[in-house]
Amino acid sequence: MSASRDIVEAAAVPAGAAAASAHPPRWRAGWLNSSRGLGLILLMPALVLVVLFFLMPVVLTGVFAFTNMSTATGISGGTYQVTPGALRELADRHGMDELAEKLGQPSFVVDEQGLKALEEMGIEPAIIADLREGHLGETHASRREFERMLRDLPERPDTRTVKRISGEFSRSLANSRFSSRESLLAAAEGVDPELTEEEKTALVQATYTGWVWTADNFRRMASSRDTVRILLNTIFFVATTLIIFNTAFAMLLAITTHYIPERPAGIFRIIWFLPRISPAVIYVLLWKWFAWDTGFLSAFLDNFGIRPRNWMLDTAANAWFFVIVINGFVGASMGMVIFSSAIKAIPESLFHAASVDGAYRWQQVRHIILPQLKWPILFVTCYQTLSLLTSIEQTLLATDGGPGGATEIWSLAIYHTALNNYAGNLQYGYGAAMALVLVVIGIVLSLIYLRVFNYRALVAKPRIEL
Amino acid sequence: MTGHLKSWPFVLALSIISAPIVLMYSYLFIDTITNSPPGSFIPHEFTLEHWRFLWETRPGKPSIWRVTLNSFLFASSSCLVVLVVSSTAGYVLSRLNVPGRAFFLAGVMVLHAFPAVTLIVAIFLVLQMVGLYNSLIGVILVKAAIDMPLGIWIMKGFYDTVPWEIEMAGIADGASRFTVWRKLVLPQVKPGLFALGLFAFLLGWSEFILPQVLAPGGDVQVLSVYLAGLIADDNNFDMAMFKSVGLFYIAPVLILFLFFQKYLMNIYGGGTKG
Amino acid sequence: MTKHLLRSTVAAVALASSATYALAEDVTIRVWAGGSSPNDVYRVDAIDIAADLLEREAAVRGEELNITVEKKVDNTWDDFKQAVTLAAEAGNVPHILVTGHEDIGPWSQSGLIVPIEDYVNLDAWPINDIYENLLEVASYGGVVYGLPQDAEARPFFFWKEYMRKIGYTDADLDGLADKVQSGEYTLANVLEDAKKMVDQGVVPAGYGFYPRPNNGPDYWQFYTSFGGVMEEDGKLVLDKAAMQRFYQFFVDAVAAGVTRKNHIGTPNDQWWAEVASGKAGIWHGGTWHYARYTNQEGLKDFFGSISFSLIPAGEGGKANTLTHPLVYVLTKQDNEDEVAIAAELVKIASEPRINTLHAIKSAHLGITKQQSNIDLYSNDRWAREATERLLPHANAMPNNAEFGTYWNAMWAGLEASWTGQKTPEQAVQDLEAELKNSLGEGIVIR
Repeated sequence: MSASRDIVEAAAVPAGAAAASAHPPRWRAGWLNSSRGLGLILLMPALVLVVLFFLMPVVLTGVFAFTNMSTATGISGGTYQVTPGALRELADRHGMDELAEKLGQPSFVVDEQGLKALEEMGIEPAIIADLREGHLGETHASRREFERMLRDLPERPDTRTVKRISGEFSRSLANSRFSSRESLLAAAEGVDPELTEEEKTALVQATYTGWVWTADNFRRMASSRDTVRILLNTIFFVATTLIIFNTAFAMLLAITTHYIPERPAGIFRIIWFLPRISPAVIYVLLWKWFAWDTGFLSAFLDNFGIRPRNWMLDTAANAWFFVIVINGFVGASMGMVIFSSAIKAIPESLFHAASVDGAYRWQQVRHIILPQLKWPILFVTCYQTLSLLTSIEQTLLATDGGPGGATEIWSLAIYHTALNNYAGNLQYGYGAAMALVLVVIGIVLSLIYLRVFNYRALVAKPRIEL
Repeated sequence: MTGHLKSWPFVLALSIISAPIVLMYSYLFIDTITNSPPGSFIPHEFTLEHWRFLWETRPGKPSIWRVTLNSFLFASSSCLVVLVVSSTAGYVLSRLNVPGRAFFLAGVMVLHAFPAVTLIVAIFLVLQMVGLYNSLIGVILVKAAIDMPLGIWIMKGFYDTVPWEIEMAGIADGASRFTVWRKLVLPQVKPGLFALGLFAFLLGWSEFILPQVLAPGGDVQVLSVYLAGLIADDNNFDMAMFKSVGLFYIAPVLILFLFFQKYLMNIYGGGTKG
Repeated sequence: MTKHLLRSTVAAVALASSATYALAEDVTIRVWAGGSSPNDVYRVDAIDIAADLLEREAAVRGEELNITVEKKVDNTWDDFKQAVTLAAEAGNVPHILVTGHEDIGPWSQSGLIVPIEDYVNLDAWPINDIYENLLEVASYGGVVYGLPQDAEARPFFFWKEYMRKIGYTDADLDGLADKVQSGEYTLANVLEDAKKMVDQGVVPAGYGFYPRPNNGPDYWQFYTSFGGVMEEDGKLVLDKAAMQRFYQFFVDAVAAGVTRKNHIGTPNDQWWAEVASGKAGIWHGGTWHYARYTNQEGLKDFFGSISFSLIPAGEGGKANTLTHPLVYVLTKQDNEDEVAIAAELVKIASEPRINTLHAIKSAHLGITKQQSNIDLYSNDRWAREATERLLPHANAMPNNAEFGTYWNAMWAGLEASWTGQKTPEQAVQDLEAELKNSLGEGIVIR
């Protein structure tokens, strides 16, 4: 922890400033009142952002996780629609074939009741008169047919009027949509006045188009084989990237640049910083240029008789190699900077005592540098574990989880589930359940880290020491 | 420094492992102003045709200048919000005795574990509730919120180093704590504000997923989404053109980085990306 | 924002011929099309033309109607559907969407779209000229939700030169389509011929059979070829044996060296260029590929270089093809009058002459019977031959709210077996478990 702040300050803090604040002031208690008021006001913007974009989303994610929410159900609630599917469910699951038949069989009856309703709606009297004289008592079994009859009336009602009229004469619920449970049941009772409670419940359940509470997401997650695979992928990805690049490789960079003159060292640091400061879209584009069929690597290796191929997606192993390298190159720079400044902070005298031949250098690294870097290493490890767990942009743009889902990691799977469906039905609920898992892991890990880095000491004494 | 005499093995080793990056970024530049014969990577002619996108708007796409302006508005506004929020909250957490201070500070650390993408559906819903979906303001706020935890930590670190004596002198002169913060303390952390501002600007400039999902509309499109859209469009595969747009997009980043690399390295060292 | 302005300033509008407009009316209608290339501009431009006609019709009646059409074309499907669903939740979805018919299921359930039959007379021109089966594909639960925007079929393509090199005569090639249709030439023969091409060095390894490099409706054709059924009586169906044979086919293709193991994820543009320039021996695509090959990719002599047929039968199935009509759908809006105008526009855009512009420009098939009487259409050899040879055998994917889940899982299984992550048997087992898990009673497994 302290290492990262140390480097921030090493660059920007005027010398001497640190020394002054060594003693926590005892006057503070006296300013408590004004300090509290001002503190709350100054904290307000941060609090608003935290509530809006962290707390509420987390709570909502927790809520969504226990629903079957998807594009089809909508987020904001549903209606009741008597679709053929709903009727089938009524018949199959609840054994209410008769009710389904009754509700779903389209039938249009021209009766006085309907004509009265038309009058109330303000439909042109001429149309009503035509209907009453020519068609009273007629029954039609198909909506299309009935509406054809309406259109052929001498008055030639327009399409929307036709729809309003046919709605009034419809004596079934097929395909009608109700905004509330009550209106659905009222309409259903219009068709069959002897609905039992049980039938009502089944009807409501079968026709509801919105989301419902369920723990199915977690059951599905626990029993899906993909879950295990994605979990293992994620662990593999995080562990490998972390060990190879974010720590070991970063350490290599820090140590080698330590042992070369400042000018080339600076250049190498800039080079290794490019991946981090580059926007992901361009950075990954460059890798594609490098690794694709028509890219640099293929063209270069072609000279040696190696068949051009898409090196990035050629095999699962290749894809992993590139996913880890692409993410690792971005991550390496953080370790590099933190370790470099930590090495710089090691007293020169420790090095001076030693000679400079190659063999001894290794001993310097082993006995002087590495032990001094224990805390920075731990910090980088912890910080980057969380970052890697939730990183998505580079992998999404590079392999998108391919080939064959080989590089699908947890965060990417969330994106694919909740926001990416070829057939237009995004699975918000299941995606939220997966996100919730990550949120819980994140909270637990960061709490552990706070303990490891002795958080209380940090707050109590807002002074920095290495 | 230790071991100047035999540094060449290190330079050599570093050069070899750095080669892919150097290669990629060199060709990012070379390919935008030259053509190479098919199958070769040695340019044989100079051309500016890949930069056509600057003066020719592709049918169905917004003008590059509009998109650039959006990117600039997005990055600078989110930078501004981050600065305001971090400089106030950081001060509170460093200096003021408010209830729950320790808790808030720990909370800020934990927030780092909540990346936008896992919560994006819920964030979308919040934006929609406050009517900011598909607007720049909405993504700006979300982006600022996500960069905020680190900003607060960084600013707290800077405030921690400001001598208490400065504040005490101010109070003794009869100034309120607010005045003291604004007139006396804030100038002391200018380097911090500058570094954080630069950092937040670049983060905003680079952001891809948030605008892609939360502001897909053509008139609020930013450069990253524009470029990703070009690449995803399989009707006009033109690597040199992608790279030209890419170079156009990354140029401000590179310039800022080369000028202020010390600041950025330090702050990015603790940055948010994996 | 505009919507509110409109609502407050615009008087009520009714639409059919008897309707009266307010004196001067300005309406903005937004239309989005997904998955469209530059060849497909008429998906949205047709709405422009329709708006012009509707304005003129209004003027003739003595009314003033100004329609501004805001058009947006997305090249990909994923981003388009994501943007549409999120925009719908946020309440600012465009009036007209051009999308795959399979979206009608979930989108009608959520109330995102409204039935077009509530706004237009299905018995009136030009809707009464639209092919019945296409209109059915645009319906859900017996309600017509959208109007077909285009139709297509997805043929198998054979690069003639390479077929000749492995022993086919010109007469053989001319008769190939019939042999495929009768079931004489099967997918097993495809593998054989592709292998011959690779073995004889006619095409590089992995280019004998060169399928679509990413997810798409095309893959359901192979499931059908092996006897699979997607839906029966409104319920999704997983035929395990057929699914496994279908997966196995691609595993065999990889094992024989005629298809690359890492084929999925090949950049689309590269794929287009390769098949259009004769790098691959046998592949499959869609009727609209004709436009891409001959326009962008510069293939001069399509009919001299390529023969095409149905997707050959596999074990237990029949030769088939899939039509995946895009549809115009109307979204639910607060302002009913705008929906009604949008419906009129969609109706006019379905006029044979206007639709033919799209059909020929993009090499899709027509949606109305009268298009065969329009010279632009009937003089086009591709439209004519493809319609005759393919369309009578075309299936469509079911409109079912759960189909997307099935589709995703099917694709995941195919990808996993193709790339060797799982055996086909395992993949089908996993698929079954996954579907039981996520769809429960919504799917019949056999």
